[in-house]
Amino acid sequence: MLVKEGISVESESSSSVIMMKAVGKEGSLWGAGFRRLRRNRLAVFGLLLVLIFFVTAIVGPAVAPYDFLSQSIDEAMRGPSALHWFGTDALGRDIFSRILYGARTAALVALTTTAISLLIGIALGCLAGFLQGWVDEFVMWITDIVMSLPSLLLAILVNTALKRPVAMWFGQMYIQTGNPVFLNVLWLDYVLVFGALALIGWAGYARLIRGQVLSIGRTLYVDAARSLGANTGRIIGRHIVPNAIGPVIVAVTQGMGAAIVAESSLSFLGIGVQPPNASWGSMLSDGLLLWRTFPHLMVIPAVTIGVIQIGFIFLGDGLNDALNPRQ
Amino acid sequence: MFGYLIKRSLRWSSGILLVLFFSYAMMFYGAGDPIKRMFVDLREGSTSVDEAMIEKIRVSYGLDQPFPVQFANYLGKLMQGDMGYSIREQRDVMTMVRKRLPISMQLGLVATVLGALIGVPLGVVAALNHNRRLDALIVSVIVFINALPIFVTGPLLLVFLVLVLKIIDVPFGWKGIFDSQVILPVTVLALGPLPSIVRMTRIGMLEVMGNDYIRTARAKGLPERTVILRHMLRPVLIPVVTSLGLIMITLVNGAIFVELIFNIPGFGKLTLQGLQQVDYPIIMTVVFVGTIIVMVSNLLVDFVYPLLDPRITRD
Repeated sequence: MLVKEGISVESESSSSVIMMKAVGKEGSLWGAGFRRLRRNRLAVFGLLLVLIFFVTAIVGPAVAPYDFLSQSIDEAMRGPSALHWFGTDALGRDIFSRILYGARTAALVALTTTAISLLIGIALGCLAGFLQGWVDEFVMWITDIVMSLPSLLLAILVNTALKRPVAMWFGQMYIQTGNPVFLNVLWLDYVLVFGALALIGWAGYARLIRGQVLSIGRTLYVDAARSLGANTGRIIGRHIVPNAIGPVIVAVTQGMGAAIVAESSLSFLGIGVQPPNASWGSMLSDGLLLWRTFPHLMVIPAVTIGVIQIGFIFLGDGLNDALNPRQ
Repeated sequence: MFGYLIKRSLRWSSGILLVLFFSYAMMFYGAGDPIKRMFVDLREGSTSVDEAMIEKIRVSYGLDQPFPVQFANYLGKLMQGDMGYSIREQRDVMTMVRKRLPISMQLGLVATVLGALIGVPLGVVAALNHNRRLDALIVSVIVFINALPIFVTGPLLLVFLVLVLKIIDVPFGWKGIFDSQVILPVTVLALGPLPSIVRMTRIGMLEVMGNDYIRTARAKGLPERTVILRHMLRPVLIPVVTSLGLIMITLVNGAIFVELIFNIPGFGKLTLQGLQQVDYPIIMTVVFVGTIIVMVSNLLVDFVYPLLDPRITRD
């Protein structure tokens, strides 16, 4: 029996080796996907914008011509000029530098909230997909409800309700550890935004991953692998994850764009990342007060958010076409 | 059929209950003592109100009770339409909602109609010109509209129309739904549901167009207009109608931004007010009302769906 299992696993893996070789003639599955992506001009354009965005987030504050906080009343409300490319705001801060710094805020929020919601989504989606039965029903019930809620209201609720307890917790942590990190109000804003956005973001991932687990679990090749004696770990590692990962990558790309928009919308409403820290959303709402006389205050952050968002959408659509050719 | 309706009702009402429980728990454990906050808020850092007095008020409001009792009380009051008092304004929140909500409802209704009136024909035209230039144009415009959030398109449209083209004056405030000032806010609001309406119409049309009964309709000599309107559009509109829940989400979210940008004293502005003044009863009520709006439209869709598409209740 043992020997038999050993042989069958062996034969199962060798059959997939043959498969890989057959595919290998035209390059691997990923290589083919990448080539399809490269042929799609819009997707390449989107990829370029997304790359610029992340590079700006990393090096932007270092190469910014001015400190994003430095104010100067003499220079306030200037239009775009050679000295200040995007002009200055009501406090005389250089808008170009603030846009660059805002990219870091946006990237941090996008990466962290996507990571948190993806982790929750993977955990709950796998739980529902593998256990099925009442666990599945329960998880899907909550997922449906979260997805059918006015998400912005929920984020507002969580953000305002958690502000006091998190601030108190920060205070206690500072007393206990003496770590100056806990005195920083910036991190408080971030924690609140992460919490609020992850709470509304996980449901989409959970539903997607559950669907993937269920549909791939039913395919003939998983049946075949199972009947050849592959254990659950092997089925997950070799069959379910590689086949489920394409749609998840697409969802993550689109989710990051959505997280950037969600962060700017919270900051726009005055509850996300707050001034003096630079966030495109709060810059936009600052510009709203004076747009008739100084439209650049409003137009520049608006266009920035729009361009980055379009980059993520184009890249997401391109990845969808490239990685999920069966659709 | 009956079982199906019961099941759907249970699903959405349990959803409302879950949201209420969650938001109440959030406020209960997150917001702290409302009475203390009331006094601290009125006089910053003041200690002139003594503990015994605060305790007395707390007992009189039932705030000394444990969480389950307080939550049950809250639900009971909610059933009677009592949503509590605004901390800052010392006013009945229900009256505020009753004054503000109709404004947003009117805007939302007009925006939905506008979205449908523009979106459905656009989707039909795109599908009829499938793989031609017009189709590509419509699809790419829709991609752009979908990508740009409302708080980006709103300001950009304002700058473009008021400062660049100079064709309108700054729309500001609320003078009733029939005033020309609502044109821009409603247009911006309608941009929210527009992409999904166009996309669903287009995809639905493309699926339906190749069917045998369309060929039959054409073969028996019906004018093209009748074929499109009666034979193609009918099955296509079902998914559009049933996405009402999603449309409502974009409208509730959109109302907040549109009313901020154009300074309209509606439901969204009330949300902002609760937010800026950290007025918990207002925030809770706003979440509750927003949830009710979306859940009830979902329920409505579930009730109407079997009438539009009889296949749905058969399983």
